[in-house]
Amino acid sequence: MADAAIADAAEKVLASRPDKAQLIDKLVAELPEHVVLHAEEDLRPFECDGLSAYRQLPMIVILPETIDQVQTAMRVCHANDVAVVARGAGTGLSGGALPMDNGVLLSLAKFKQILDIDTENRRATVQPGVRNLAISEAVSHLGLYYAPDPSSQIACSIGGNVAENSGGVHCLKYGLTTHNIVQLEIVTVDGERMTIGSEALDTPGYDLLALMTGSEGLLGVIVEVVVKLLPKPERAQVVLAAFDDVRKAGDAVAAIIQAGIIPAGLEMLDSPAIIATEEFVHADYPTDAAAILLCEVDGTHAEVDEHIADVTAVVEREGATEVRVSRDDAERAVFWAGRKAAFPAMGRISPDYYCMDGTIPRKALADVLIGIGELSKKYGQRVANVFHAGDGNLHPLILYDANIEGELERTEEFGGAICELCLEHGGTITGEHGVGVEKIDQMCVQFPPDELTQFHAVKNAFDDKGLLNPGKAVPTLHRCAEFGAMHVHNGELPFPELERL
Amino acid sequence: MQTSIIPQLRDTPDGEEADRILRACTHCGFCTATCPTYQLLGDERDSPRGRIYLIKQVLEGEAPTQKTQMHLDRCLTCRACETTCPSGVEYAKLADIGRDLVDQQVERPVHERAIRWLLRHIVAYRNRFAFFFRLGHFFKPLLVGPLAPLKQKMPPRRKALAWPKNDNATRTMLVLDGCVQPVAAPNTNAHAARIFSQLGVQLIAPKASGCCGALSQHLSHREEANDFARRNIDAWWPYIEDGAEAIVLTASGCGASVVEYGHMLRNDPAYAEKAARVSELARDLSDILAQEDLSQLGDLGHGRQVAYHPPCTLQNAPQLHDNVAEILAQAGYKLTHVRDSHLCCGSAGTYSILQPTMANQLRENKLASLNAGDPDVIVTANVGCQLHLESAAGVPVRHWIELLEPSAAAA
Amino acid sequence: MTTSADQTDQLTERVRAAFESKSPLKLTGGGTKAFLGEQVKGDTLDVTGHTGVVNYEPGELVMTARAGTPLSELEAVLEAEGQMLAFEPPHYGDNATLGGTIVSGVSGPARPFTGAARDFVLGTRIINGQGQALRFGGEVMKNVAGYDLSRLMAGAYGTLGVLLDISLKVLPLPRTQITRVFEHGPSEALTQISDWQRKPWPITGAYWEDGKTYLRLAGATSPVESACEKLGGETLDDDKPFWRDVREQQRPFFSNADKPLWRLSLPPAAPMLDIDGDCVIDWGGAQRWLASDIDAVALRRIVKDEGGHASVYRGDASPRFHPIGESMLALQQRLKRSMDPAGILNPGRIYPEL
Repeated sequence: MADAAIADAAEKVLASRPDKAQLIDKLVAELPEHVVLHAEEDLRPFECDGLSAYRQLPMIVILPETIDQVQTAMRVCHANDVAVVARGAGTGLSGGALPMDNGVLLSLAKFKQILDIDTENRRATVQPGVRNLAISEAVSHLGLYYAPDPSSQIACSIGGNVAENSGGVHCLKYGLTTHNIVQLEIVTVDGERMTIGSEALDTPGYDLLALMTGSEGLLGVIVEVVVKLLPKPERAQVVLAAFDDVRKAGDAVAAIIQAGIIPAGLEMLDSPAIIATEEFVHADYPTDAAAILLCEVDGTHAEVDEHIADVTAVVEREGATEVRVSRDDAERAVFWAGRKAAFPAMGRISPDYYCMDGTIPRKALADVLIGIGELSKKYGQRVANVFHAGDGNLHPLILYDANIEGELERTEEFGGAICELCLEHGGTITGEHGVGVEKIDQMCVQFPPDELTQFHAVKNAFDDKGLLNPGKAVPTLHRCAEFGAMHVHNGELPFPELERL
Repeated sequence: MQTSIIPQLRDTPDGEEADRILRACTHCGFCTATCPTYQLLGDERDSPRGRIYLIKQVLEGEAPTQKTQMHLDRCLTCRACETTCPSGVEYAKLADIGRDLVDQQVERPVHERAIRWLLRHIVAYRNRFAFFFRLGHFFKPLLVGPLAPLKQKMPPRRKALAWPKNDNATRTMLVLDGCVQPVAAPNTNAHAARIFSQLGVQLIAPKASGCCGALSQHLSHREEANDFARRNIDAWWPYIEDGAEAIVLTASGCGASVVEYGHMLRNDPAYAEKAARVSELARDLSDILAQEDLSQLGDLGHGRQVAYHPPCTLQNAPQLHDNVAEILAQAGYKLTHVRDSHLCCGSAGTYSILQPTMANQLRENKLASLNAGDPDVIVTANVGCQLHLESAAGVPVRHWIELLEPSAAAA
Repeated sequence: MTTSADQTDQLTERVRAAFESKSPLKLTGGGTKAFLGEQVKGDTLDVTGHTGVVNYEPGELVMTARAGTPLSELEAVLEAEGQMLAFEPPHYGDNATLGGTIVSGVSGPARPFTGAARDFVLGTRIINGQGQALRFGGEVMKNVAGYDLSRLMAGAYGTLGVLLDISLKVLPLPRTQITRVFEHGPSEALTQISDWQRKPWPITGAYWEDGKTYLRLAGATSPVESACEKLGGETLDDDKPFWRDVREQQRPFFSNADKPLWRLSLPPAAPMLDIDGDCVIDWGGAQRWLASDIDAVALRRIVKDEGGHASVYRGDASPRFHPIGESMLALQQRLKRSMDPAGILNPGRIYPEL
């Protein structure tokens, strides 16, 4: 049966023990020596991405400078059955670029060129290592910008954005990465170059662009991206509303949407998050509030006026204790600066934090927040909440100290409980950060075995040896069996045939 | 970030400080976005986050090699990363500790040691540097073959202006004369003194003061840097007791060093208090002038186009405040738009000498941005940047203070 | 009111049986999009009995409905709450179903401005080629758990799975809509439309036909009115029937059946192609309709050179959709096998080989 063979391939790659010295020889025979790193001293800085709780020294790091070199690297690895983990800026929060001790880490960070800006079609062709924000900066003088803006946009690269289908503050109105790209160049697992999507708005055959986006590096290596550019709104303004109760803030979110307004961004910070970020940005956030909402509306001058009045009325009706409207772009930037730096700013109040990413229906916001508060008491760990309220995309940040033994494990367990809470409310375990290694066990809760098997089969169509980023995004059925807390379908325990450890 | 510093380092002052700094880092990578070397090279090991990791592994007991040393050497210490770090990681302090630690374990090749020795023992001493500077100009025609690049590095000789008489001054301030600036750009302080004089402030540059110590600090000789700091404190202290209002820093590179004296000497009982006071009094020239009434200077610029390059030290050292653009605009100059003004020009103290390839690449990019607005003159606020840019600019490069003097402004 | 019937079990059973006997199935809904693509031989699997709105909460901007639900019924339900399907799906007949709309991936004049059918798909429940009912995506705005197989269903013509339920993002109806008309030649229209799109105006339609550009603006009242002021042009009174006719291919241009009708999908600013025949421009230039006797191979070469592709809507050219390269076809065949190992779901519907 095909399914078993597919699962087998993944397990085999994870357990493989390639001959490192031999592989180095084969790589440097075809690649310049300086692009192949293999001494521990050189490898160490690559051992984790933005999720530093998970670390693994890679066997080899390749830093290619041309697409040719990427193809060569892939060809050599494929011929030698060696796994490849692609990495962009290394800002991911789910360990999607966590290296393997028996695999190659392929860094695309040297691909930093913006290759073409096409104002007529409102597109930019960029290499995968180009920073998200650098695109908007490069086209700003043309009155254009690239809409998806993950909070790490200053540093994260577009290749990683595509691999994770990154969202951001403005995706309620402007969509995710998948809505804002038209074409990809990829290198397949065996080193072939391929175009996905087209310069037109659609492509004959299957919509592989949708499939590639968010596939976490399991289907191909992205080497070029054509993004859509949008005209910059005439004006944007932010309403900052403070609440003395998290529930009121949650209800205000639903009320804004129900009023028929699609804000450009609708974000929420709870009290610990307000205090930590205020210390960094000095945005004059009300530090005594239980929660604040940041609601941005954009468009023409008249449109913004119309919506600001609407939003102000709604939040006041919902019991906001304080409402401020940004006076100019500088103040608007300051309001957002706190939100965008909120995750790492936790470094100021806690040595480590663990960032969750569940998405839930908006109506469940208040209930889930209160549920998280209860879990926080149960686990005895602090949580700060910073999130895309408009999308129902939560980012609870569990604060912990990795130097204290057992804290990380307790934190992971707490995180798992939050994922499950989101699923109970009809949500998903990850809205925009990806599954990576971090949420791989929760995938077993979200998806029954048939769905997981289907995912593996799709993967197999692109990568029959299972060499691309194995062990990420989609758990093997064995792993789910070991995890134990599996999706229970019709009261039956799944995988009855598998031995439990 | 999790740390496990080896016991023999953990309880030293450096070990404790390094641990504190590392613990604040969350490995988010925001710093990579503003790092000039990462933007050029795209190699994690040439990013602040990667260097933090390289230093971390040394602190955790791994033996470094020349490779770690090279990646740490390639850092400009521009501190742009610190401004984008949401977690408040004090990168520059960690880099100093890391470089020291690595240099103790990895011996440099002879020629590198020689250059570093010369930089510390000649450039940091005004008279020695002046001697070699004159000598260099004398032998300039002989700088051929492998020595030819030095010719380009050599700033032109400039005629020194007279300092004002200050008969009417009612207030006094100190000014740091430093090491390179009095020789290579002798008029910066003279211009400053003349403008302060118009404002009723006498600027005093005590003879006994000298190099701020930054050179030694960045060449992994922190104790030597501390000695320079002590020497300057000794030179300034009598004036401070006499009521000197401030220490005016006309080179922001030195400024960034002097504002750290308090931190550098915090464990020296004899100097800790004085050093803290000195750091408090130290302020950038533009910061002080912004407080004064400059309207009497009138319209000097007549709309002339100026491209301003804010030195990293002035942008990124948290205690220094940059008011240059506002002052020049007030004086009637038109400031051009300069792209990526947060990126280093490549001068970075001794960097342009020790890392010429990177420095020249950064300079090329910087000059392209500066010249994009078609300026009449490029100005900056640090002698290092001034000399580095001047050697390839094609447009006059000045210290901005020169534009506030009617005679110089017209030139 | 909509009818409601859950036929998941029956449909799953049919597919499972077909999988076991390796007998191809021809999926049918309302039959309104049957003219698109290739013809399928197989036992008919009719999904029109699987109907009803499963979940609709206007405040969540999400609607989940069964694939056989008539599109017009869904639109009526949404309209009653002041909402809409923002990709403005063409019906091409009275019996159009939601499932047929999604599997064919068709979108109306608003497509370049608000998004395509696939852009609004949040989740699906499908039957794969082995007769397993599977759920992907969900009812939330953002979801990156697992591969995005839901969006992959859009435009796959049922060859990867039988759609059971579809969750879609829905949006509020615009408060105001105005259409302005301008006199332009085709090239002038393309340039003008491209320029307009660099302005932050609420454009939701840009169509050119026979010397006239029709620009539709919709959204909050004030920006629509202020954009119209800046634009000039003549107002088209009662513009809704006009855009319905564009969407449904009911303009006179489409009813002239003398020549084959081609759909050209192009980069929006691609120049007017030098081809004998009549042309109208929709999607701000990105979708052009061509009535021409030109040879299919020649046409496709010209269109491909401009970065686009051509499919035939009326006429007997083969293949119906623009052919794809060899290695791309091989990949798509593998993908098809991964979801439909026995090749029983609408085989050959997109390409004879797929």
